[in-house]
Amino acid sequence: MSLPEFQLRRPKTLAEAVSLLAQTDGIVQVIAGGTDLIPSMRQRLFAPSELVDLRGVTELRGIRQSAEGLEIGALTPLAEIDRNEIIRRDYPVLAEAAHAVASPVLRNMGTIGGNICLDTRCLWYNQSLAWRKSCGYCIKKDGDLCHVAPGGTECWAVFAGDTPPALLVLDAEIEIAGCDATRRVRLADFYTNQGDTRMKLGSREILTRVFLPRSTRGWRGAYRKLRVRGSIDYPLAGVAVALRMRNGVVENAKAAITALNPAPLLVSGIEEQLAGKTLTAVLAETVGALAANTARPLTTSALTPEYRREMVRVMAKRALVEVASCGSR
Amino acid sequence: MKKLLITLNVNGRDVEFACAPNQTLLDALRLDLRLTGSKRGCDDSSCGACTVEIDGEPMLACTLLAAACEGQRILTVEGIAEHGALAAIQKAYGEWGGAQCGFCTPGFMIAVHSLLEQNPDPSEEEIRAALSGNLCRCTGYNQMYQAVKAAIEAEKAGRRAL
Amino acid sequence: MNEFSVIGKPVALVDSAGKTTGQGKYTDDLSMPGMLIGKILHSPLPHARIVGIDASRALALDGVVAVAVGADAPNKYGILPVGHDETALAVDKVRYVGDNVACVVAESEAIAEKALELVDVRYEPLPAWFDPEDSMRAETDLLHEQRPHNIEKEYHHAFGDPAAGFAQADTVIEGRYIANEVTHAAMEPHSTLAAFEIDPQTGRPGRLTVWSSTQVPYYLQHKLSIVLEMPMSQIRVIKPLVGGGFGGKSEVIPLEIIAAVAAREARAPVKITYTREEVFWAHRGRPRTIVDLKTGVTRDGKITAVAAKVIQDGGAYCSYGVVTILYAGALLGGALYQIPNFQYDGYRVLTNKPACGAMRGHGTVNVRFAFEAQLDEAAQRIGMDPVEIRRRNLLVPPCVTVNGLRVGSYGLPECIARVAERSGWSERKGKLPRGRGLGIACSHYVSGAANSIIRSDMPHSTVNIKIDRDGGVVVYTGASDIGQGSDTMVAQIAAETLGCSLGRVRVVAADTDLTPIDIGSYSSRVTFMNGNATLRAAQAVKRQIAEAAAKRMNSTPEDVIMRGDRVWNHGAYGDEGPGAVEETATIAASGRVEGQILRGSVQQKRAEECPKDRMTFEEAVVAAIDFHGALGGSGSYAPPVEARGGHYKGSGVGPSPAYSYSAQVAEVSVDEETGVVTVHKIWAAHDCGRALNPVAVEGQVIGSVWMGLGQALEEELVWKDGLLMNPGLLEYRSPSAAESPEIECIIVESVDPEGPFGAKEASEGSLAAAIPAIANAIHDAVGIRLREAPFTPERVLAALRAQRPEAKKVRLAGNVDPARPATFREHGGSLCHGGRGPARHPLDPAVRRKSAAGSASKREDDAR
Repeated sequence: MSLPEFQLRRPKTLAEAVSLLAQTDGIVQVIAGGTDLIPSMRQRLFAPSELVDLRGVTELRGIRQSAEGLEIGALTPLAEIDRNEIIRRDYPVLAEAAHAVASPVLRNMGTIGGNICLDTRCLWYNQSLAWRKSCGYCIKKDGDLCHVAPGGTECWAVFAGDTPPALLVLDAEIEIAGCDATRRVRLADFYTNQGDTRMKLGSREILTRVFLPRSTRGWRGAYRKLRVRGSIDYPLAGVAVALRMRNGVVENAKAAITALNPAPLLVSGIEEQLAGKTLTAVLAETVGALAANTARPLTTSALTPEYRREMVRVMAKRALVEVASCGSR
Repeated sequence: MKKLLITLNVNGRDVEFACAPNQTLLDALRLDLRLTGSKRGCDDSSCGACTVEIDGEPMLACTLLAAACEGQRILTVEGIAEHGALAAIQKAYGEWGGAQCGFCTPGFMIAVHSLLEQNPDPSEEEIRAALSGNLCRCTGYNQMYQAVKAAIEAEKAGRRAL
Repeated sequence: MNEFSVIGKPVALVDSAGKTTGQGKYTDDLSMPGMLIGKILHSPLPHARIVGIDASRALALDGVVAVAVGADAPNKYGILPVGHDETALAVDKVRYVGDNVACVVAESEAIAEKALELVDVRYEPLPAWFDPEDSMRAETDLLHEQRPHNIEKEYHHAFGDPAAGFAQADTVIEGRYIANEVTHAAMEPHSTLAAFEIDPQTGRPGRLTVWSSTQVPYYLQHKLSIVLEMPMSQIRVIKPLVGGGFGGKSEVIPLEIIAAVAAREARAPVKITYTREEVFWAHRGRPRTIVDLKTGVTRDGKITAVAAKVIQDGGAYCSYGVVTILYAGALLGGALYQIPNFQYDGYRVLTNKPACGAMRGHGTVNVRFAFEAQLDEAAQRIGMDPVEIRRRNLLVPPCVTVNGLRVGSYGLPECIARVAERSGWSERKGKLPRGRGLGIACSHYVSGAANSIIRSDMPHSTVNIKIDRDGGVVVYTGASDIGQGSDTMVAQIAAETLGCSLGRVRVVAADTDLTPIDIGSYSSRVTFMNGNATLRAAQAVKRQIAEAAAKRMNSTPEDVIMRGDRVWNHGAYGDEGPGAVEETATIAASGRVEGQILRGSVQQKRAEECPKDRMTFEEAVVAAIDFHGALGGSGSYAPPVEARGGHYKGSGVGPSPAYSYSAQVAEVSVDEETGVVTVHKIWAAHDCGRALNPVAVEGQVIGSVWMGLGQALEEELVWKDGLLMNPGLLEYRSPSAAESPEIECIIVESVDPEGPFGAKEASEGSLAAAIPAIANAIHDAVGIRLREAPFTPERVLAALRAQRPEAKKVRLAGNVDPARPATFREHGGSLCHGGRGPARHPLDPAVRRKSAAGSASKREDDAR
């Protein structure tokens, strides 16, 4: 399967990239690692007239400690995040989530920025043009039907990135550069929770940096991923938990889920349930139930929605117990 | 669509050729440079049969644009052999049954080559993890582990002999 | 001293260097001047009449050379003579989403893909059939008019007295088992390059050469001849390296015919390579199978009777279907256990989905899952160890089974003993903590079908050998190496028989112009049949060499010993032979260590010593060539008449000259909260007669077991109203290295009296046992009997929860309990709703189901 035709732009600096985006007419698409976009272009899910390849913008690559915490360039490969000593020590839930992405070779290519901006996925959507024609297309691309929520007018394709739930529990912020201004938003405010629009990023904007605050530095955490294969797969459900403990008592805690809704979502009510308490099996069950209640899976993947929701409950519970029990800091 | 004149550094040699902007590195290698060792096994970046090294890191040639690889060092399976003879890993894959139909083998050659470049003495777990991005349908991977271990031993013996 | 010099030694496959260096050429790696690219237009509808095709817009596109349609080559073909129901491209109707409608030929892939969008096809939708049990009730809108009720074929067999057998049983167990559909997923997508030559006499296109990723070059030549109306002698089929087959390339796949038709229409060489999605549409994998199985056993564990009703969901065309449904019966009754009374009712059913065909373990795998799982249940019911119940039902060979299968070598008892010992069965079974368990199962397979697809008296394999003056041996074999190592097997047999080193032997294989007929790489026939043909060809040449050498040494041919690149008179071999042979045997086997050719130095060394009672291989060859002229020989193999089976309808499928045997123990753990099954290790003992190349045998056995593991745990084609929901390697999940367990292969050598050097098959027989071994281990771990494969975590969890009434249920699509599967289930969601969606017929299940379900609900994920 060939790729659609496009003009290729290869900026060397962020300024150049942003001005290229501003000048370009027609449908423009930014590409970083390409691990999701290139196959999707083969399937004609994207057919930009201009492709702006960011791989040459080296200033957007790298991990730096700063006064406010940690700064990660959006083009930093997931493999680098996985093996970075600072992240492993200070923000372990992110290292674990990065490690869970796809496979080693794909982690060498895929970037943190790309993982945050990942397109939503659905078995009725991530198919070839010929396949989608045979199902009458869908609301997300080329059609007006939703096959998983018949009669619905919204897209329920799921966000299936592994690192965003980890970033959410770490209270990450992101920086977005446009031609006129640079803005900074909480990651939690970035997503729309709609499968088609998915995120608040203009087509002329670039996600440039990820900031991890000092406030969550040193939080213990874990990421659990439901997958059939031990490698390669996108998550069928995922949960990240992170918490700070003192003397066996939970001070702060957060949980976020992925691959169940059109956006990665923080699970609300966790802190209220856990703060000031010693973790018990009953509390862990409660947190699991909260995570499951946040999940709205539909038949977007091969495993049934019921099972995926059940698993996010189990995974949240187990992750929490494991994190709370592995020695206090 | 206007073609671009690009230069790729493949297996230590610079090659200049005209390339459409939407040409993948895999198609450029296979069609333009006639390096057909790298294979196309899927269309969704899942199988790893096209794995090549880009500046020392294994990556999927089917998921890279050729024009975007200018200025980088590309190593394909054709560049693994040493001085016209089989490299230790190639020999070991033959001897230990690591290659049956051989279609996934070029990808595995690159994956193992990268692993051993970065970590000459990997643990069993590290070997398994390094191979986990490449699919094989013949071997069940078992004999590949034996091959990789044999290659490591052969390299060690070779170093001792020097 | 070893009995053999080359046989039984682990050697690198003779084509392995080409594979590890990237130099080896597969079909898609080939190109030729002026070559064009073909792309196939596929049907978007599961069942429809083609009203008209207008390709004018496509042809007007710059760079498009031709568009081929069904009318360009309307002759029907099919792999089975009784199943000629396919055409190159659809002539009147399409029968599945993905069926082949037209082929665009263009200067590049991109142009051809663009042109596909410009071919206008008008369809008249027809009602479609997706569930085989529905399809069997069809009165109208049949897939093929000549197949009433959409039943491709049904068979009803009874052997012994099943009713009496069940009456003798102390306990009878019944159950429905369902194994969902799986596919080969060979790493190489199918590819074909077809080129015509201009005939110098007529000036028009004449001979056709086809390079193709095929397991069956001769059948391809035959079918091309039928469709193109050309004599076979005008068609040359060449098989380059093939990147795995597993049965998916064991019949003529649409692109192979289409490429030739397209090359004829375009008047230029045409290459077509499938996308991965097209591979899934071409499919021919293992059908979804319903097995209603009943087993009767006595209190002391003897099987008294077995009855099975088997329904295979065959898809839209016959393919190998008739053979598949017969194998299911023949090898269920089979040559594995003593089953005195056996009843079989098999139905091969047509549905509007891609055709199923032959896949590794052809026909036997899904019924073996049912049988071995039920036998485990029987053992539990009578309180007997699962190993013991299998021992109680062994055959006593040589014998002929009730359904007419002749059994000679029978390594099953040893296989069972060895896996039980290696896995620590008696110490550990039943003593592991809850959540961890051991399971055993057995399987067997043919070493080639004793009757070929096209019945004739022709040998199944013929091999030619020629030897050059300097001692270079060339073996011409039609055997198709698809990665299993048949070229290496042939080289080893030739080298061993001729007493020369492996490095002398060059194999020329699978080129219909050069190599004599071998009917193909399927039914695990190549080692037994092509190996025997090679052995006979080599013996014929050896006789000529021995005669000439005997003259030189004043001896008799019977006293000439050829081994290790040397030739001795018997007496001389006695005093110096063994030592010298040891030395040269090292050289002979040194392909593994030092590269395969050491000819120069060896020759020189031998030239220096030249007594009268011994010669070098080259000297003997030269003597023979001087004496006979050209030095060559031929050998062929046809299965013995006694091995060809009984005389009832359908008795032709199942008989084999020999059967392989396998016993396996799986150790698993089950996470009771998630349903995730982890396989820790599988011990697999396989009786391959004799391991000609142990490293290759181990690779084949491990690969088979691993493929069975994939079917047991992860792999499944997921359907929705005829749409394949997972046509790619990302969503059709064959196991990755991360979760693939250690598989210990234990080779058992029963040395078959008729196999070449005693060898039998090694590549398929071990697959089937893996699935029930895992099912039985899951039962041992957590007490659930899963009767629907694959045992995905959600099925396992659903079964676990179903056991505990107080637990929250896990609702699977269709609400079926995987411990008691009832019907085929489909993916959730909805294809057609609110009168919108694709243009399906009003009676199509996708539309009907919707109207039955009532008004649209927001969450109608499991509408069935």
